[in-house]
Amino acid sequence: MNKELEHNFVKQLEENQNVVHKICRLYTRNQDAHNDLFQEITIQLWKAFPKFRGEAKFSTWMYRVALNTAITLYRKKKRGIQTQDYESISFKIASVAYDDTIEEQLKLMYVAVKDLNDIDKALVFLYLEDKSYREISETMGISEVNARVKMNRIKEKLRKILNP
Amino acid sequence: MDQLELLKKEWKNREQDFPVLSFDEIYKMLLKKSSSVIKWIFIISIIEIAFWIGLNFLIPESSKQINAEMGLDLSFIVFNIIHYCIFAFFIILFYKNYQAIQITDSVKDLMQKILKTRRTVRYFVYYNVGAAIVSMIAVNIYYYTHKEKLFEVLSVNFEDIGTNLTIDQFTTVFFGAQVVVGILLIGFIAFIYYLVYGLMLRRLKHNYVELKKMED
Repeated sequence: MNKELEHNFVKQLEENQNVVHKICRLYTRNQDAHNDLFQEITIQLWKAFPKFRGEAKFSTWMYRVALNTAITLYRKKKRGIQTQDYESISFKIASVAYDDTIEEQLKLMYVAVKDLNDIDKALVFLYLEDKSYREISETMGISEVNARVKMNRIKEKLRKILNP
Repeated sequence: MDQLELLKKEWKNREQDFPVLSFDEIYKMLLKKSSSVIKWIFIISIIEIAFWIGLNFLIPESSKQINAEMGLDLSFIVFNIIHYCIFAFFIILFYKNYQAIQITDSVKDLMQKILKTRRTVRYFVYYNVGAAIVSMIAVNIYYYTHKEKLFEVLSVNFEDIGTNLTIDQFTTVFFGAQVVVGILLIGFIAFIYYLVYGLMLRRLKHNYVELKKMED
């Protein structure tokens, strides 16, 4: 039974690992911290897994646990200076269809999102993942109206950062 | 196009270059230990509760004997019974609050529950410090109003006192020492708590404030 549960869990996480990686990259500044956070999220997901009833999609259920871990549970380890060693690679996948200015814009936007505070970042992340405001409000624990208002403010803030 | 919308469009269209972890690599992670804030808060809280309970058993026999001779033994028994009832109440409350913490809660609920659990422990500590201060003051007032008897009792137990000190000298030294020790102890506790809370909860509180701001 336990083996089956483990297998089932690992399989699902393996398939959906990109969600966790995206959160890790937004909330950490280097590969070591990324791996640490991934590890912690995996443990928290596994601990909560027996209560996962399957009424929601596994990936939807993951958002909460992963974001909670990144925002609240994860303790940043003091490992010397926090470098930004993977900033440059985060959006580097070359795409012939896009010219350099658009690539540059994407990169700048990504960096601006990363610099937001932990809570704002979570909102933007869910927005980028194309979650509805209802889902965002439920995940964050705020009202739908407040989620909308806040998201508009963050958009405005980002716009100002990028177009001073 | 707006840059955020551009990012949103690309967010799903292309995969970012993440490492791909294999089944075995993820499986191995299950065996590792968590180092989450909740775990540390739980450990620290247990240490605190154990420390304060333990402190109650550290009262030296000589001190108990002196209190008995001063006629305070019944008061101490009553005080201790109330004290332990309050302890039990706090432990049950702490356990219930801790049990309520769920990683699958919303971000806000999770933070609230963690802060609530910590608050229980904080009140437990306040209660202990408060009870220690009040009982120290009460005992000292009692001692002061019965200082002749205290001098007598201590002279019997510690010969040096009776032979080397007058009652006035004794009063100054005895009560002076009580005040100094009391202040040092409280300062020490305050310092430890400043460190513990500062390190553990700063980020959590900061994030909670940010979240609360959305509702104003």
